[in-house]
Amino acid sequence: MVKPSKRDKLFFLSLLPLSVSLLAILILSIITIVLRSLDSFQHFGSQLITSSVWNPEKEVYGLLAPIIGSLATSALAVLTALVLSLPLSIMIAEYLRGFAKSVVSSVVELMGGMPTIIYAVWASQYLVPFLKQLVMEPLHRVLPFIPLFSCRPIAGFSIFAAGVAIGISIVPYVTALILEAYQSIPMMYREACYGIGATKYETVRVMISLARPAIIAALILGFARALGETTIAVATVGNSMYLSSCLFAPGYTVSALIASQFANAHLYQYAETVLYSSILVVVLIAIVLSFYGSTTIIKWRSRIIV
Amino acid sequence: MSNVSVYIKSRQILSRVTLKIPYNTVFVIMGPSGSGKTTLLRVINRLIDLVEGARIEGSVKVLGFDALNSDPYELRKHIGTVFQVPNPFPHLTIYENVAIAAKINGVAKSRKELNDVVKWALEKAMLWDEVRNRLHDHPHQLSGGQRQRLCLARALAMKPRLLLLDEPTANIDPVNARKLEEAIVSLKDEITVVMVTHSPHQAARVADYVAVLYDGSVVEHGPAQQLFLRPSTEVAQKLLRGEM
Amino acid sequence: MYSWRKLREKLFTGLVIALSLLAIAPVLHLIATVFVNGLTVIAEAGLGFFTGLPPTPLSRELGGIAPSIAGTLIMTALSLPSTVLLGLFAAILTTEFPKNPLSVAIDAVAKSLASIPTIAVSMIVYTLVVIPMRGFSALAGAIALTIIALPYAYTYFSTALRSVPSIYREAAFAVAMSRWSTVTRVFIPIARRSAVVGVLMTMARVMGETAALLFTAGRFRASVALSPTAPADSIPLLIFDYILSPYTIWHRVAWGATALLLIAYMAVFIATKLVVKEVKL
Repeated sequence: MVKPSKRDKLFFLSLLPLSVSLLAILILSIITIVLRSLDSFQHFGSQLITSSVWNPEKEVYGLLAPIIGSLATSALAVLTALVLSLPLSIMIAEYLRGFAKSVVSSVVELMGGMPTIIYAVWASQYLVPFLKQLVMEPLHRVLPFIPLFSCRPIAGFSIFAAGVAIGISIVPYVTALILEAYQSIPMMYREACYGIGATKYETVRVMISLARPAIIAALILGFARALGETTIAVATVGNSMYLSSCLFAPGYTVSALIASQFANAHLYQYAETVLYSSILVVVLIAIVLSFYGSTTIIKWRSRIIV
Repeated sequence: MSNVSVYIKSRQILSRVTLKIPYNTVFVIMGPSGSGKTTLLRVINRLIDLVEGARIEGSVKVLGFDALNSDPYELRKHIGTVFQVPNPFPHLTIYENVAIAAKINGVAKSRKELNDVVKWALEKAMLWDEVRNRLHDHPHQLSGGQRQRLCLARALAMKPRLLLLDEPTANIDPVNARKLEEAIVSLKDEITVVMVTHSPHQAARVADYVAVLYDGSVVEHGPAQQLFLRPSTEVAQKLLRGEM
Repeated sequence: MYSWRKLREKLFTGLVIALSLLAIAPVLHLIATVFVNGLTVIAEAGLGFFTGLPPTPLSRELGGIAPSIAGTLIMTALSLPSTVLLGLFAAILTTEFPKNPLSVAIDAVAKSLASIPTIAVSMIVYTLVVIPMRGFSALAGAIALTIIALPYAYTYFSTALRSVPSIYREAAFAVAMSRWSTVTRVFIPIARRSAVVGVLMTMARVMGETAALLFTAGRFRASVALSPTAPADSIPLLIFDYILSPYTIWHRVAWGATALLLIAYMAVFIATKLVVKEVKL
């Protein structure tokens, strides 16, 4: 039997302490969040998710609006990202070559690493008014009978604006994932399409349908990413606990709520623990979705590489 | 080595191999592809450790060390290896590639000693004349044959007592291959050379002793002259006739 | 039939181009407006923008953002080395011992850690560091930044190390290098370009992070704080507070700061493209 030599073991041990940090951090984080949320679950129980109120002085809390808000904005963000990322990925993968391709790819990379606060500033000062005038108000005028569009946008800060803004910010991330998947499809499928005289459109349709599981996984991962977005949300969502079915009304997301209220939470008895429980919900959803998304892509990749 | 059997992931690669390799000779291990030659070499320098799921039975003594139970890093200080695919360090210059072997093993202590060793190693590897004016170029600027000779120089700079060569000319043009063979033969006074090849002609050119490996077992071994003139097993005969 | 196919082809191409442009347009508009709005503010405030203190809400003078700049520099300087060190060691471990269960765990954890919202990290560091220390500090901020950047640094480094063909490990062993030498004298130098890019991208992440610092650094901008255990500010934090406030003067300062941050980010980004020559295999 080949024993690992003493030197190998020493090498491993020398790497161990610092490497384990990642594990330690994750475990510590999860424990902290869970422990700090227990109080609120015990005290409030399901009341937390059936009402929508933030009243620390009276110690009355209801997280329905922020939780729904987080889910709604993320869903909108993913929709926006789908509409924008998919064509962009197709553009880069199929239509661009050489210099143009590297320029556009670099721009996408640049977008992807950009600090979100910059997006937040631009979104709150330019995107929101733009959306209000050119999208929300027209939709409200033309289709007010649809509950989603039934309220008049006042300043524009709303679930809708937050969703679109966050969507724009995750476009690079989703594009990168879709491109990676698209480019893992073996050449032979593309060659097969052209070989039978398909047009570009028809070929792309085939490629997309081949990549569909990976694209969906990319959207799921984008959703998880959108859930955690804070600065853009605070700047565009309107920061109101009012829960309505209208997309154009101001609302809240969990992260925006925390950003606004956590600093003062220690003044009250239950505020902090309630906020912890709200982030626990988000973290759980995000981790589960991330896990599901990544494993789907891995499985898809092993199936597609013949 | 005695009764060495090697299993990789429950497939048997070597079966009860027993060989005695005399010092200061060129010992060639011949055999068709897949017979386990590379694995045999890797047992000697403990590179078998890098293979996943490898299991070794038997005992191996190398240069006085119990190879299987010693510290492999210590063991490898005395063994130079040249691989089938040339692998000079791409981030080092030609000079540095050879020098690093000498530096790490404490062969040279001063700048001057280092220069001397590098020159000596490159000369022995028959590469000095071609690179003397471009010692600061990088290996990717060399041809495949030159890279392999660089690898030989690197192995020699360690001043090893044992040199292992795994099909060193497999990926090289015939001219360079000849040069390499010349270099190998010239080494045997100072070093023990164990070489693996699948070409019986090459074996005939360089070997003092030969062992024929087939399907993980040694089917025949002995002094080169004897084996080439009068191969006693069918396997060896087929090999020499080029039928394998 | 034939012309319908052609028409569809053209429509499709047109749609793809249009939507792609729509996808890129926001960022281009963003860069333009940030530069226009921000650079005018910086020009007006002059060098004082980098050395002065922020204005009060009703003042006429633009002042400066020196405390925020100092804070960003200090926290980046504190967190970058630790992030790189931890990420590098973990990457070395998983590359050198890929089948070890610990390595598999670390890989999985890196992915999970990256999906934790940054604001959660801020809360956690608040509970674990700020409260025991009885106060905000640059140190707490740096710790939060390290936690956030660590999964990314690990991923960059492990991809870089794994891209080095394993024949060079064999070559290194053949020359009797120890395991550490193999890593430091062969693998890292060969992967150096990707490694440096990894460090730079980590720096970009750390520099621009806002949510992680919300409850850890302290938003102290009355003066330039140099001690790591004292409350500090950072450029993104200042932008966050000021752009959400109702005061025009603060909005203007926020624009200036945003432009500064954007320039810094783009500088780092360009650096990753120009850095270190690739090692030719």
